[in-house]
Amino acid sequence: METLKQQALDYTLGVLPKDESLLFEARLDTDEDAQKLLIEAQEDCANLSMTANPKTLGNEVRSRVMEHLEPRMDFNPFLESNDMKRLRDNFSFSGDRYRGGGGSVDIGDIVEPKLKDEVRFNYENLIDIFPLLSGSSKAANGNLSELQDKLRKSPPLDHVISSILQNSLPEEDPSIQSVLRTTLTSLPSLSFFSDRIRENHGGIADTRRLFYLCRDQLKIMRASFKDLDPERLIEDEKIRLHGAGLLQTKWWGAEHAYFSSKGKVKCGHFFDGPVTERCVEFAEYDANMYCLANLLAPRSSTGEFHMELLKDAIPGCTLAVATAVMSDQQFHEIELATTKSVYTSCDGKLSYDRFLWSLIEESMLRGHHSNNLQELKEKRIFGISRLNGFCYIWFAWPAIL
Amino acid sequence: MAMIGKDLWYRIKDGDSSAFGELYDGFAGAMFSLSLEILGDRWEAEEVIQDIFAFLWRKPESYAPEKGKFSSWLLVLTRNRSIDRFRSRKRRLDRGESDEILSGREDQNASDGANEATLSDERTHLRLAFTKLPPEQSKVLELSYFRGFNHEEIADALNLSLGTVKSRIRLGIEKLRNALYELRK
Repeated sequence: METLKQQALDYTLGVLPKDESLLFEARLDTDEDAQKLLIEAQEDCANLSMTANPKTLGNEVRSRVMEHLEPRMDFNPFLESNDMKRLRDNFSFSGDRYRGGGGSVDIGDIVEPKLKDEVRFNYENLIDIFPLLSGSSKAANGNLSELQDKLRKSPPLDHVISSILQNSLPEEDPSIQSVLRTTLTSLPSLSFFSDRIRENHGGIADTRRLFYLCRDQLKIMRASFKDLDPERLIEDEKIRLHGAGLLQTKWWGAEHAYFSSKGKVKCGHFFDGPVTERCVEFAEYDANMYCLANLLAPRSSTGEFHMELLKDAIPGCTLAVATAVMSDQQFHEIELATTKSVYTSCDGKLSYDRFLWSLIEESMLRGHHSNNLQELKEKRIFGISRLNGFCYIWFAWPAIL
Repeated sequence: MAMIGKDLWYRIKDGDSSAFGELYDGFAGAMFSLSLEILGDRWEAEEVIQDIFAFLWRKPESYAPEKGKFSSWLLVLTRNRSIDRFRSRKRRLDRGESDEILSGREDQNASDGANEATLSDERTHLRLAFTKLPPEQSKVLELSYFRGFNHEEIADALNLSLGTVKSRIRLGIEKLRNALYELRK
C-alpha cells in the first residue's frame, strides 16, 4: 500500500518514470485503491498549491480569457475565394529553407551619418529599457516608477521615428529597406505604449504589451543590421523552432497602435506548431505581421481587426491573414499602395503604406527564393482582396512540415 | 478557497459561458498565484492561466468527476504546466543548478496585498502551516513541488539519500493535510 501511495504521489508530481507511469495508469482502470490514492495525492498537492503567495490578476487578463468564448470569425468565404484557390493550386516550395536575415546590411552601409547614429542609439536605448519590462520586473508587479524614470530620461520614441523619417530615404537602397523595417514595423506601437507609461497613463497591461514590442523591435533590428549586435545575432541565427504560439500570445486581445491610429486585435484561428526555424527568420516573419497590422489598424471601420495564422488551409504553407471591415475608400487607399510604385501620396507626403507593402514584397522574394515579384503576385503568395465588406491582406510562407 | 464544485464543471461542459466566468472569478487568482510562484514571471504565468482556460473551454472532458475534486485537478494542471514551462526555460537558458534555484521561496508574507483580506481561512491556515514545517521538510517540498525537481535531483542538491527525500516529502504533505483536517473539524 505504501508503494502504491508513493506511486500515486509521484505520478501526480510528474516524477514517476515513464514505464511505471504507464503501469500505474493501467492499474487505475481497475484498482479502486489506486484511484482513491490518486485522488488523495491530488488533494495533497492542491493543499501545497494553496500555500503560494496570493497575487492579483488584472482585468485585462480576464478580457483575454473571455475572448475564448466568442464565436470565431468565419474564414471560409475567404479561403474559398478565387485568390485562395489560385494560391492553393500554385503554391509549392522546394529546396533549402530561407534562413532569415537575407535583407540584412551593415550599419556602415547607411550613407547618412546622422541616420546611422540614430539607429545605433535607438537599439542601445531599447536594450537598456528591456530588462525593466520583463515579467519579473518591478513594473510587471505594478511599480512603474523605475521604468517611467528611464523612459523620461530617454528621447521620446516618436521623436526618434520622426527624426529618422525626415531623412532622404531612397527605397531602392538596401540599407534604407533595413532602416524602414526597423522604423515602421513594431516601433510606432512601441512608441505609443512607451508614451502612455511615460505620461502616467499606463498600467501592467501596457507594460506587458511594451515587453513584447520591445523584444520584437530588438530582434528585428538585429536581423536587419548584422553588425549592430553580432554576439546576440549569433544566438538568433541558431536553429531553434519558433511556434505560432509566440505570435498568438502577443496578438491575442492586444491593443495595437500605428502613429495616431489604434486598433483592437482579434484572433481565434491560430494553429499550434512551428512557424520558423530560427529567430532571425522569425524576426522577418514578425516584421511582415506588423506591416499587415499597420496597414489595417488606421482603416478598420469598427476599430477592430483580425490577425490569424492558418496552416491547413493551403497545403505546404503557413498563411498569415489580417482582415478588417473597411469602407471602399479606405480599401482603395491600401490597394493603391500595393499597386503603385509611388512613395508619395496625392498631398505630396511620403506614403508609409507603400513602404510597408514594399517590405512585404522584398521579404516574399527572399522567403520564396524568387527574383520574380510578378510571378509571386500572380500565384497569390501575397496580396489584398475585398470580400463582403472586409479587406483581407495576406502572405504565405513555407511551412515547417 | 472559493467553492469550485463539480456542478460548475457540468455547466461548463454544457457550454454555459456564465459558468466559465464564475470559475475564472472564483479560482483564476489561486491558479495564477501558484503559477507565478513557480515561474517568477508575470507574463509567463498569465499565459499559463490563459492557456488552461482556453483548453478547458475547448476540451472540458479532459476532467472527469471520478478524477477527484475539480479544484484539485485544476491546481495540479496549473502546477504541471508551470513546471513544464519552468523546465523549458531552464533548458533554454542552459542554466545548471544555481543558488537562485536552490534558494527559498519568496517571503511567505510577500503577497501583493490586494486580495489578502479576501483570503479564505483554509488558504491562510495552509500558508501558516507551511511556514511552521521543519526547514528540512519545507525545503524538499519547495524543490519538488515549486521547482519541479525529481527525487534524484533533490537528493543530489541537498546531499540526502533518496529514501530521506521521499519520507520528508510525505511527512511535510501529511502535516499540511492534518492542519487542514484540524481546521475543518
